[in-house]
Amino acid sequence: MRQGFRQSMAWLHTWAGLVTGWVMFAVFVTGTATYYRADLSLWMRPELRAGPSDAIPAAERGIAYLKAHAPKAMAWYVSAPQPDRPVIAVYWMDSLEAPLGQAMLDVESGAPTKARDTQGGDFFYRFHYELQMMPALGRWIVGAAAMILLIALISGIVTHRRIFADFFTFRRDRSAQRGWLDAHNVTGVLALPFHLMITYTGIVTLGVMYMPWGVTAAYKGDDLRFYVEAAQTTTWRPAAGRPGEAVPLAPLLARAQGEISEPLEMVIVNNPGDANATVVAVFEEPHGLAHQHPQIAFDAASGSVVERVEPLKPAARVFTSFMGLHEAHFASTALRALFFLCGLLGAATIATGLVLWTVARAPKTGEAPGFGLRLVRGLNIGTILGLPIGMAAFFLGNRLLPVDLAHRATWEGGVFFGAWALAAVVSLLRPHRRAWTELGLAAGLLFGAVPVVGALTTDRGLDFLAFDAAMLGLGLALALGARKVSHYEARRQAAKAARPGPARVPEGLVEA
Amino acid sequence: MTPLSIALNLALSFAGLAALCLAMDRHHRAIAGRGQTRACARMLRLAGWAALAASFAAAVVTSDWNFGPVQWIGSLTGAALLVVGLVSYRPAWIRPAALLALPLALAAALLA
Repeated sequence: MRQGFRQSMAWLHTWAGLVTGWVMFAVFVTGTATYYRADLSLWMRPELRAGPSDAIPAAERGIAYLKAHAPKAMAWYVSAPQPDRPVIAVYWMDSLEAPLGQAMLDVESGAPTKARDTQGGDFFYRFHYELQMMPALGRWIVGAAAMILLIALISGIVTHRRIFADFFTFRRDRSAQRGWLDAHNVTGVLALPFHLMITYTGIVTLGVMYMPWGVTAAYKGDDLRFYVEAAQTTTWRPAAGRPGEAVPLAPLLARAQGEISEPLEMVIVNNPGDANATVVAVFEEPHGLAHQHPQIAFDAASGSVVERVEPLKPAARVFTSFMGLHEAHFASTALRALFFLCGLLGAATIATGLVLWTVARAPKTGEAPGFGLRLVRGLNIGTILGLPIGMAAFFLGNRLLPVDLAHRATWEGGVFFGAWALAAVVSLLRPHRRAWTELGLAAGLLFGAVPVVGALTTDRGLDFLAFDAAMLGLGLALALGARKVSHYEARRQAAKAARPGPARVPEGLVEA
Repeated sequence: MTPLSIALNLALSFAGLAALCLAMDRHHRAIAGRGQTRACARMLRLAGWAALAASFAAAVVTSDWNFGPVQWIGSLTGAALLVVGLVSYRPAWIRPAALLALPLALAAALLA
């Protein structure tokens, strides 16, 4: 080896971190927001009010709607109302290729709700692993970036070998590079178990998609049987091709509920209307790390039980526990807050690492920055501040777009990407220090505006206090950060003006 | 996994990490304004690790082997962030805060 091991690792860490940093920053931020997916969805549908509901009559209403509106579908899915999602959500599959049809029904009447058309918290959830692209492409990009991030994490532990000796060290009073390095190390090491866990389990979650060949070889192309044996789903019973009469649904569901103590979460009907139709009752995950839903399948014509999902075998238990750890559905309010904090630290580690790359390569006084440096600086600001600006605009769009706008949910996504793209353009065109201040302030103002606009456009009063507080907190943090950058800049410029040396036109004059 | 059990975890982890921080010469000098003897540093280190072990035990007792370790690691991150914040911005507060954390942990343990 021409260089030492540590230098090689430093090189690897630097470049693995840089190429994946922007994508992974967005993945971390939207993933962290997804810990509060249900709360975001509730906020984004202010017409809906949480209330008590009975799962079985709700499932009957959902099936009745599907019978009327999607009689020819291959499969129906009815999701029972949840405390944090007070609607009956119905989906239907017309073919394996077509996207699922979907509708949201009122819990009491079973008719489509009048709630505004929005993706709610699912928008960030899907962005987190598909980047709102074509699903397969987005998943491959996120997966490849996550694999490289895992390399960056492990090489980073070797590179920043002083992280444990400097465990509590954050030197704000030294050089800029020292401060950024300390911030990168501290945010990295304090949540290191989380960073490793979340990156690894994230890759594992979609592992079968990235490496399908083991399953294909072992199951000779019958991939569905793999999922049945892994206790993730019930067997697909092919259609008989002749119509059949189904027994009433409610007694079946009541029998299933008698066997399982968890609440009913979803009812699936495969091949509805066929003589071989199957009704599957899916229950919520028992409280535990493993992500698995108890399921009971009935023959719809006779009402007899055809299948029960098996208890997890060891390998499947490990896999589902990894998934469970990643999603943290088990986490109570306080633990969820800690997961959220860890997610923010992850995003901060990536952001400080990206900034550190540019600080370490800052040109000497009098030299012009090269194209690469200017590009990275612009992309850094465009991502680190552009994404929060997009998110705040997305929330504002949810409140300000007309409720009856056609394709409203798509428009909300358009607002998100439009605001982000605008911020990215500004960050590439403005001098980079000014761009930090201006966009930071813009992001702070946009987040600060969310509770105000929310209060003015809905009659929900103080129902969303926690959400409003979080928005104000984020806005304040971003605005203070912007102020800090401009103050730091003012001091630097003053020091530079006092120091004799080659004259240099300052990048934008300092506000008094 | 009640808020009280997490509060107990956070308080013990915070006290432990604060002691470990004080056991490091550089931080001790910044916080106390003077150096420390080796015996003092050893005592602090011992106390720190003992508190972290107690925090782990508390997590497993209150939240089971299933979630206890997850909760313990989460509390370490949260507590460490608080220690770093105090050391950097309010070093004088760290000793009183760590001492205050112990009765708080006791109260949470009695209530949990």
